Amino acid sequence: CRQGSAVVSRLAPPQQVRLDADKETQTLSVTWEDGHASTFDVEILRTELMEMVLNETVGVTEDQSTGKHQWNWTSPVPLECTSLSVKVRSRDGQDVSEWSSQQILPGLDLPDNTDSQMYPEGKTVPVGSNMTFCCIVEEGQQFGSLWYKDTLVKENMLSRRTYATTMTNQGPSNPSGTNVVCSNEKKMIIAGAVVFVGYPPLPSDLVCETHDLISVDCQWSKGRDTYLFGMTRQTYYTLNGRNCPKARNSNMRCGLEQWDGNWTLVARNLLGEFRLTDAAELGHRVRPVAPVNLTTPEVYSWNASVGWLWKDKVKSLNGCLSGHQTYTGYGLNTVVLKDLQPDEKYSVKVRCGSQKNFWKWGEWSLPLSFQTKMDRPVAPDIWLWMDSDNLGRVLWKPLTKSESHGQISGYEVILWSPEENSQQTLTLPRSVYSLPINVTDRGSKVTVTARNPAGVSLPANIVIPRYLPDAEDTAISKVAFNGSGFPLSWVAHANASCGYVVDWYNTSCTQDCNVEWIKVAADNTNTMVQSGNFLAGVRYKFSLYACSSESTVLLERWHGYMQELVPSRTVPRLSPNQEGADVQLTWDQIPLEHQRGFILGYTVYLTNASHLTLLANITDPQLTNHTVRNLVLGSYKFTVKAYTAAGEDGGATVSISLEPYTYWLIMEILVALGTMTCLLIVITIAFTGFSFSIFTILWKTMPGTGLICVCFQGTLDVKPSPHSMVHIVEDSVWDSSKEALVTVPEEDEEGTGDEAADTDEPASLRYYNQVVEEGSSSQRRPHASDSSASSTGSMDSGHTDVTYTGIQTSACYRPQMQSASCPEEPQTGPEEHLQPPVGSFGGYQPQCSWKQDSPEADGDGLDQTCLGSPTSVTSSQFLLPYDTSEEGKEYPSSASTWFHNLLTGKP
Amino acid sequence: MNAPSYWNCISGTHDVILLPERKKETFAEELTSGGDRLVTVPPLSSQLSPNDMLWRLYSALQQCRNLLEHAIGREEGVGNDRNRTEYESQKKTVRDRLGHLLESTRLLLADGAGTAAFTPDPNNTEIDGPVNGSPFALKLWIYRIFNELEHWTLAASKTLKALHPDGAAPKERRTRGRARGRRTRR
Repeated sequence: CRQGSAVVSRLAPPQQVRLDADKETQTLSVTWEDGHASTFDVEILRTELMEMVLNETVGVTEDQSTGKHQWNWTSPVPLECTSLSVKVRSRDGQDVSEWSSQQILPGLDLPDNTDSQMYPEGKTVPVGSNMTFCCIVEEGQQFGSLWYKDTLVKENMLSRRTYATTMTNQGPSNPSGTNVVCSNEKKMIIAGAVVFVGYPPLPSDLVCETHDLISVDCQWSKGRDTYLFGMTRQTYYTLNGRNCPKARNSNMRCGLEQWDGNWTLVARNLLGEFRLTDAAELGHRVRPVAPVNLTTPEVYSWNASVGWLWKDKVKSLNGCLSGHQTYTGYGLNTVVLKDLQPDEKYSVKVRCGSQKNFWKWGEWSLPLSFQTKMDRPVAPDIWLWMDSDNLGRVLWKPLTKSESHGQISGYEVILWSPEENSQQTLTLPRSVYSLPINVTDRGSKVTVTARNPAGVSLPANIVIPRYLPDAEDTAISKVAFNGSGFPLSWVAHANASCGYVVDWYNTSCTQDCNVEWIKVAADNTNTMVQSGNFLAGVRYKFSLYACSSESTVLLERWHGYMQELVPSRTVPRLSPNQEGADVQLTWDQIPLEHQRGFILGYTVYLTNASHLTLLANITDPQLTNHTVRNLVLGSYKFTVKAYTAAGEDGGATVSISLEPYTYWLIMEILVALGTMTCLLIVITIAFTGFSFSIFTILWKTMPGTGLICVCFQGTLDVKPSPHSMVHIVEDSVWDSSKEALVTVPEEDEEGTGDEAADTDEPASLRYYNQVVEEGSSSQRRPHASDSSASSTGSMDSGHTDVTYTGIQTSACYRPQMQSASCPEEPQTGPEEHLQPPVGSFGGYQPQCSWKQDSPEADGDGLDQTCLGSPTSVTSSQFLLPYDTSEEGKEYPSSASTWFHNLLTGKP
Repeated sequence: MNAPSYWNCISGTHDVILLPERKKETFAEELTSGGDRLVTVPPLSSQLSPNDMLWRLYSALQQCRNLLEHAIGREEGVGNDRNRTEYESQKKTVRDRLGHLLESTRLLLADGAGTAAFTPDPNNTEIDGPVNGSPFALKLWIYRIFNELEHWTLAASKTLKALHPDGAAPKERRTRGRARGRRTRR
């Protein structure tokens, strides 16, 4: 604040100071007279609180016409907010005049203006503006707070009733503006103002064109959003000075009735205006209107003509587009549409552009629909499929819509017989695509034609081959699906004059198979077989034929899967076969339809609960057996799985218990003995009187047991009995390393015979462990000269060795009168036995080798009289009682005792 | 307090509920609007007979509808939303539902629309809205109209439900026998 000099100034103070306020712009205009200076000090105070608002030295020249000085000041605070006091003095360097009289610009917070008010109200300002808002509290009320949007802002007190806040860098408003609210101490709204913060318009891309060669249509982009809405704040446009009332929202276009060549677009809102210009010649901006009245004066099978009309001057234009074909011509109004398909519905629409100085395509016309006429169909694609030498089927593919050229009404098949010079014609409905034929006339020809209302197709011919090659003689190789099809390639064949044919079908199919085929041109030696009918897990067989005018020749065959899957079933007929300490597993191959992939081999597992131990991986898919060797006594489960490239099947499981079983064998022996006993009784009774001598002879012939000849009816299926099971155990007396039989309670034997193949049930015990090696058969165990030794030994049936690896049910069982000698130290089994024998119990003695006891027996033809006997498969040894303790006892007593003991169950 | 938000209504037959969206207007929640009531109807009370209660409701709703039409006529002053189509649809929905509520109330009246309804105080200058062109005053006025509309539609909804617990809208006027003009203005 500059203070005046104490020295009397020669400058006169300004006179007639006057204040004029433009409250809208918040501008205060100060005018004065008699300044006689060009520099003045201006001081502005808020009247009520005497706060300095401005104290500034300004240069103001005198207006020569009025003799007044005028200075304008824009107040940051609305002029309504509070009263301002203004005074002016002249300055000339350091010399200043006295202050003028103070002039007051009254605010609206004077006591006589009692209402609450807020300023500025309804103002529109650019984004980023700083603004000061003031609230004049109603007389008698107490100011509370100021809010900008929903934010409480800090206020300044300008006067007793006026409070102000300044907002800087304001952001864009919402459509109804930004609210500034003043409340009293009770948080009741007492005044408020709305400020609209936005942008001036900024359009772009003004482009003008003509559609009718007369008027102009201009378009532009709206550009940046102004955030200003409503009648007073929205953007208004003018084009060459004419209003564009329809240019609103996103529809930024404006038209003029005449082509001017130069256009100026002015966009204007409360914050400013923006100008865009464009200029062009008429001929360079032609975008024709859409043609009208489309017609099709001529429609044929393969082409049609389309015509249209133009509005006004547009008909003189060149170039039009129809559909996706472009036609050019001066005043073009008709075109011929070519390459159409017969009996096809089309929709055509037309748009036009200027060929010279092309600008843009015009609008599309309304579409016009028409349908082409029908034409005769194309020849069917036919093939001859021979089911057998004399039975075949003529096949043809259904014609597609593009091939039928109209609704197919039926097919005609002609069988030509050149030798008989005759023909047979068959008419078939349109739903039939094959015809079985009995081919007896080799070299005859088959002709197929299709018919529709427009006519008959060209004939499709095929010659029945004179010689049908044996398909099985042709090698077949694998072909892999490559994702899109089966790629086939072959060596060119000299006789393929009319190309090649590849047909294929489901290999598992046996009757009325769905045969598909493709024809390959003669100069191609490869093709990709594709079909929507290919299924995963199905084997397809592909046959390549060379086609000539005379016949077709099978050249090559392939088979393959679109996708290999794991087999859908397990190997059938899985069965175990005990061979001593080994078990041979055999199975059948999985039927083709269940393979679902090329069987690559088999895996054999030892199953222990849910755990599988791989025993073997058989990579030869033709090998369907496997021998598991060196097993110790016990129960085993084996699982065999076939596998393809996709993996293994679920696995077939079979069980086997390596425990010999004697119950049924014993029973059979007992039955045999009983039968013979009965027979002897009968004979005795019958011949008591007059045939005693014969009996005597017989008795002498078969001392001891007499004739024991047993016939085993049917299969001797030596199963574990429900109550006992025979175990092969070591005979500690005879040989600790040997195995003997012992009767034990059976656990479970529901599964029998064939059933065991696919189940986990224990398999039937059909085989005895082979304890005595073949070599031992040559060594006879020391025994008595008659069969009593056996009989005696049999009394202790608990010590009977077993020498069987199998029992031939059809063989004779013939008790040996004289035991064959067995080695004292028979060869042991495989060295890698997993478990020691269970124990030393009585059992059966192995018959080490068969020996005829007496010439009489042999001479009497006992072999012939014997009906059968369980016989070792490998050694043909018989089960005989084994006497481990006593030798040389009388045979009859021994035999009877042993037999009695068996019946009574004594050991 | 945004103009388009006034028409965000959800309504059943008798459940006109207007949803103010003050947040759209970024208007502090804790502030309240002052001013006198724009709808001048004697207060409802449980002492009133059902017909008297309906009559007051009907009068209030009629005043609401008049105010609404006034507000619609002046809404340009506070700017338009950009989605004009949706805005117009909402506006139409409010008008239709208010009209339906009025008609439902009228059908329940013993003497129908025969008796003159309560009219606003002719000295109430706020009925026609602010005259100074202040956008904020216009907003506040429309907001007050909205409050009246919300208040009276809810009151009508509750009353009609109380009178018809089954919620069924009356199909026709039940009684037509009472002479017109018999009911005097209170």
